Amino acid sequence: MKTNIGLFWILAVFFVLADAAYTVWSLIDHGSVEWTGTLGIGLAGVLSAFIAFYVNLSYKAQGGELPEDRLDAAIDDGEPEQGFFSPWSWWPLALGSGAAVCFLALAVGIWLLFIGVAFTVVALVGWTYEYQRGNFGH
Amino acid sequence: MDHVTSTSLERSAPVVNRPNTVAVGTIVWLGSEVMFFAGLFAIYFTLRSMSPELWAGEAGLLNVPWAFTITVVLVLSSVTMQFGVFAAERLQPRATGWKPTQWGMVEWFFASFALGAIFVAGQTYEYAVLVSEHVTLSSSAYGSAFYITTGFHGLHVLGGLIAMLLVIGRAYSAKRFGHKEATSAIVVSYYWHFVDVVWIGLFIVIYFLK
Repeated sequence: MKTNIGLFWILAVFFVLADAAYTVWSLIDHGSVEWTGTLGIGLAGVLSAFIAFYVNLSYKAQGGELPEDRLDAAIDDGEPEQGFFSPWSWWPLALGSGAAVCFLALAVGIWLLFIGVAFTVVALVGWTYEYQRGNFGH
Repeated sequence: MDHVTSTSLERSAPVVNRPNTVAVGTIVWLGSEVMFFAGLFAIYFTLRSMSPELWAGEAGLLNVPWAFTITVVLVLSSVTMQFGVFAAERLQPRATGWKPTQWGMVEWFFASFALGAIFVAGQTYEYAVLVSEHVTLSSSAYGSAFYITTGFHGLHVLGGLIAMLLVIGRAYSAKRFGHKEATSAIVVSYYWHFVDVVWIGLFIVIYFLK
């Protein structure tokens, strides 16, 4: 994790420097700021710093090195729960189809949106609550 | 069980709090959202630098006190949201009394929902007034830049409102409010704070710098 944090900070510094160079160069060459690049590169720096900052917070909160970051760790040290992962689900497909119908509606006619939105709402609720009900109710 | 003796097992590695994959994933996705809004800001600034005289005329039509009011409402919704997160971290879904200090996650999320809904309603009213003053999506580059930037932000707020309802629903559906429910509340708060910060940026750029 330390390496990840370092990499994102290096990226952040790089983008900030690149942004400054880009802005100054465009001022020298054109006499005006070229906003697309200045904002794009600058906010890419924000993106990197943001992730570096958060991963650093998580790293401090974990109180030690993860087994995968230790050279002397055994395979079964990494055995505890990694997180929750759905083994399979139809809901993302239903949700994607619903969204596709909504976007199709923007192209062919707004009437289709009523069907698309209804389908999307059912799929969204179905997906969000898949592991809250039935066998998985808790 | 005090008559049973137990041996303490020697651990080969110290116990670590594994970072929550949902939370880290949400942050990485919000990073991509930063770039999405970077594109929108780029549209706005590029169009403004191309036609400053258009901006000088059209931006005068904006109702700044109104926009400031709904901005304050949105910032307050972030505050109530954060109290909802504190309640979720206590694993307390519902209020134990009428006082706000006793509120659970659900009550705080309903409060945030109400404030967020006021923001969207206020923005809708602002749009209606501007359209009546002939600033529309297709009227000029100013109209396009204004509605695309604030409109995409408004859609994000709307998405956040839907997410809040889903989180509230999870709190009701779970018999025991656990870490899974708390995690969904926390990541929705990350998203909500992000959308709030983006709005502060938009507000400064559109209403303050003009």
